[in-house]
Amino acid sequence: MTLDMSQFYQVFFEEAGEHLQNMESLLLALDLDHPSLDDLNAIFRAAHSIKGGSGTFGFTDMTEVTHVLETLLDRLRKGELAPTGEMVDAFLSAGDVLRTQLEHHQGGPAAEPGVVADICERLAALAAGEPAAPAPPAPEVRRLRLECALAPEVAGNAQGVDNLLAALAEIAAVELEHRPEAADPRLAAVLTTGKDDAGLREAFEFYASPDEIRLMPAEAAAIEDAGYGLFEELPGTAAAEAEQGYGLFEELPPRTPEPAPSETAGFGSGSALAESSGLGSGMTPAARASASTETEGFSSGVTPAVQALASSGPSGFGFFDDAPGAPAQAPAAAIEGEGYSSGVTPASAFAGTEGFGIFAGAPGSQGPAPAAPPAAPLAGTAGRRASDTPGVETVRAGRRETDKTATAAAAESSIRVSVEKVDSLINLVGELVITQAMLAQSAQDLDPVAAEKLLAGIELLSRNTRDLQESVMSIRMLPMSMVFNRFPRVVRDLAGKLGKQVELKTVGEATELDKGLIEKISDPLTHLVRNSLDHGIETPERRIAAGKDPKGAITLKASHQGGNIVIEVMDDGAGLNRDKILAKARERGLPVSEAMSDFEVWQLIFAPGFSTADEVTDVSGRGVGMDVVKKNIEGLGGKVELASATGFGTRTIISLPLTLAILDGMSVGVGGETYIVPLTLVVESLQPRPEDIRTIAGEGRVVAIRGEYLPLIPLGEVFGLASAVREPSRGILMVIEAEGGRAALFVDELLGQHQVVIKSLETNYRRVPGVSGATIMGDGRVALILDIGAVTRMGLQTNRKQYGQTPPGLAAALPPGQRGTACAFGT
Amino acid sequence: MEQTEQHAVAASGEYLTFTLGREEYGIDILKVQEIRGYEAPTTIANAPAFLKGVINLRGVIVPIIDMRIKFNLGEVSYDQFTVVIILNVAKRVVGMVVDGVSDVIQLGSETLRPAPEFSSMLDTRYIVGLGTVDDRMIIVVDIERLMTSQEMALVEATAEA
Repeated sequence: MTLDMSQFYQVFFEEAGEHLQNMESLLLALDLDHPSLDDLNAIFRAAHSIKGGSGTFGFTDMTEVTHVLETLLDRLRKGELAPTGEMVDAFLSAGDVLRTQLEHHQGGPAAEPGVVADICERLAALAAGEPAAPAPPAPEVRRLRLECALAPEVAGNAQGVDNLLAALAEIAAVELEHRPEAADPRLAAVLTTGKDDAGLREAFEFYASPDEIRLMPAEAAAIEDAGYGLFEELPGTAAAEAEQGYGLFEELPPRTPEPAPSETAGFGSGSALAESSGLGSGMTPAARASASTETEGFSSGVTPAVQALASSGPSGFGFFDDAPGAPAQAPAAAIEGEGYSSGVTPASAFAGTEGFGIFAGAPGSQGPAPAAPPAAPLAGTAGRRASDTPGVETVRAGRRETDKTATAAAAESSIRVSVEKVDSLINLVGELVITQAMLAQSAQDLDPVAAEKLLAGIELLSRNTRDLQESVMSIRMLPMSMVFNRFPRVVRDLAGKLGKQVELKTVGEATELDKGLIEKISDPLTHLVRNSLDHGIETPERRIAAGKDPKGAITLKASHQGGNIVIEVMDDGAGLNRDKILAKARERGLPVSEAMSDFEVWQLIFAPGFSTADEVTDVSGRGVGMDVVKKNIEGLGGKVELASATGFGTRTIISLPLTLAILDGMSVGVGGETYIVPLTLVVESLQPRPEDIRTIAGEGRVVAIRGEYLPLIPLGEVFGLASAVREPSRGILMVIEAEGGRAALFVDELLGQHQVVIKSLETNYRRVPGVSGATIMGDGRVALILDIGAVTRMGLQTNRKQYGQTPPGLAAALPPGQRGTACAFGT
Repeated sequence: MEQTEQHAVAASGEYLTFTLGREEYGIDILKVQEIRGYEAPTTIANAPAFLKGVINLRGVIVPIIDMRIKFNLGEVSYDQFTVVIILNVAKRVVGMVVDGVSDVIQLGSETLRPAPEFSSMLDTRYIVGLGTVDDRMIIVVDIERLMTSQEMALVEATAEA
């Protein structure tokens, strides 16, 4: 039992997290001068959903906070208050508090009670605030029409109903129109109250679900639900057929003039409207007859229908109430109508079913009315009506859907699946890819004429496998907006703290990236954005002095380029200061010269502990960071580059592989073994002439490639493979980019280019130096994927071991992270 | 944990016996996943000599250890009769090259005699006991303990408690 509950908890946690996220992004996007009602409603709904969920699961602390939040939001969306920056701040803090509470329920640290109380007070104070000038003053006393379906067990209990009415009477003057009873658990009343909707709804919390309560201004009710109004007053809302129907109704003296009498107000009106469209569509004398019959036999014909519905419980009623969640029940109700109608006299049967059919569409009559088949023979059988109904309801359901939040719509069209399931699917497809490659390889030896069909089949299989692999991989893909969404908040908070004006632009949020990468990229990106804010963007005064817009801009951009995703962080700030960086580098004893290219100078920033900040702030400046950023991104198989122009800004470009599960690799042969080199790191491959290979101090080997001297990394020697080719001019040199520098990897031969599925060696074995993973080749054999950074380091050490010393200029004394850079400096 | 594990080894009662040189060893049959022929593995650089490399076992990368090299049992050769026992120990899959698989035998824990303490390639820590079947001496090995030991270098040092 506990286990069951915890499953639901998880769903709640996830949903609440999404709602919070949604709320935050909406708040940040809110245009304070012209708040869009849709957005305010969406924010309200998010808060409301969290409140509902937390209430259900008994997380009262969250319910309390959301309740205050909701109260303020409700006033906002009703236009009683105008949103202010202060409110947005309060909402954001409330969101933070809720998130902490949510994490607490998931086992995190508890929120500080002081903070919670503080935010509640702030919200309450704001909510109590004077209505904003442009907004119409809040009506002190409003007349409201209340409709709600009570749970049958409540409605059937006279005592319970009394209690409810008493509770209502305390907060409002009640003009009861329909008292709930077991047969008809609907409550209809006109309330005159100073309370707001939320307060009223609260009074009902124990009696009915908030979704089933309808509150509307007494006047508007007439329009919204035709049944309540006097038909004459209907301001042409319904479709033409409906108008016709109304005309007919005027011929029915007993019903129309007064609001539906004794029976059930809602029902009477609903069926009245039902007829109006039904009759309007195919008016015949018989119709008149049946209509009038219906009027007279109303109580006898319809009441059982109501009872039938009532016995079906509140679900049947949700239908009447236009409660969300009704669509699912619609067909059931329709069937019930059918069942009922078969048991009564034809006239009332018609009335009953007709009533149902239209009832489904009664409120907001415009939509469904035309949807009712205009030429439907009046005496359309009950069955037929019943079958029409779901169709009508679908239209409504669709419409309602668009009204709901976008998340609700998304929930309908997506399913939650655990990542493990997806990963195991990806693994299986990986196996399939390997099997297919094996098949293809064995098929190469077949006689193309004799095995024509088999070969064609294998060709088809390979195409299908590739498609399958792509679509399976796309399951794990998430849009970059998942990462970008957090930045408006980061920038807003930080800019406020630093006294800077910054605008954040995001481009290409829809670009998709593997989930694993998304999770790992967000920290480095946060760091870069903070850097841009702290060091890049100048203070408004300085910007004005420099002739720039006082408001700085930071742009986050994501795009696909080839097989990579490129993420750029751009700012229009002061840019990097070359002289300052060089001076700092000299101070730290790094080998630098004035002749270095800008590109090389910018690379210095990635040195561990390097910072040009004059003072350490709590935002940044400690020099921990860029090296970590670079390391993390290289750990993901990506690259970081910097471009900067003094006075115009800085641009950091991160390029990442699309996924962590598949790698584009070049397979190389060394001493009879096959290794995979990640293609992104390969610059070029060439066969050197013997005279291009030079030694330094008679030992360390370098290779001259177009005037550049690159250290030679003999892979065969690094891996101790005896049979490897020893003479570089007889093998192949692969120029690789490793840790900011370049090196020439010496291999025996190039075998080909493959897309390989990355497998971990650590599952059954352990980490192997110089190897980042393994893969299975087409022939079923295992090939190791090289960790180029580690191989380069090992290669330089091998050089040292073997030749006694590292060639000068390779600066072996540098920390490992630096050595790559050193290679470049060695030129 | 270790204790219960060892108890389980003795209690299951069925052992797979294999030969290494002229010695016969027994391991808990429940640790054995399958037995297959030898195929040339992909060598791993700078690994100990007894680690022959890794193979692809239906999509799983499995390390292969040659126990003959590990126990210094003279010249090793690989032919179509060379056998690899695929073990499932400590949630890992490991392949073990042996000279041949002989039998599945029943050994009651009471028939096991403790191994005398003396220094050998195989530490007595890994020997559950010595059993006798038809005058043959079977060295019953706690294969899980052996495979996860430091000296096999199969798992990261941190995995060893």
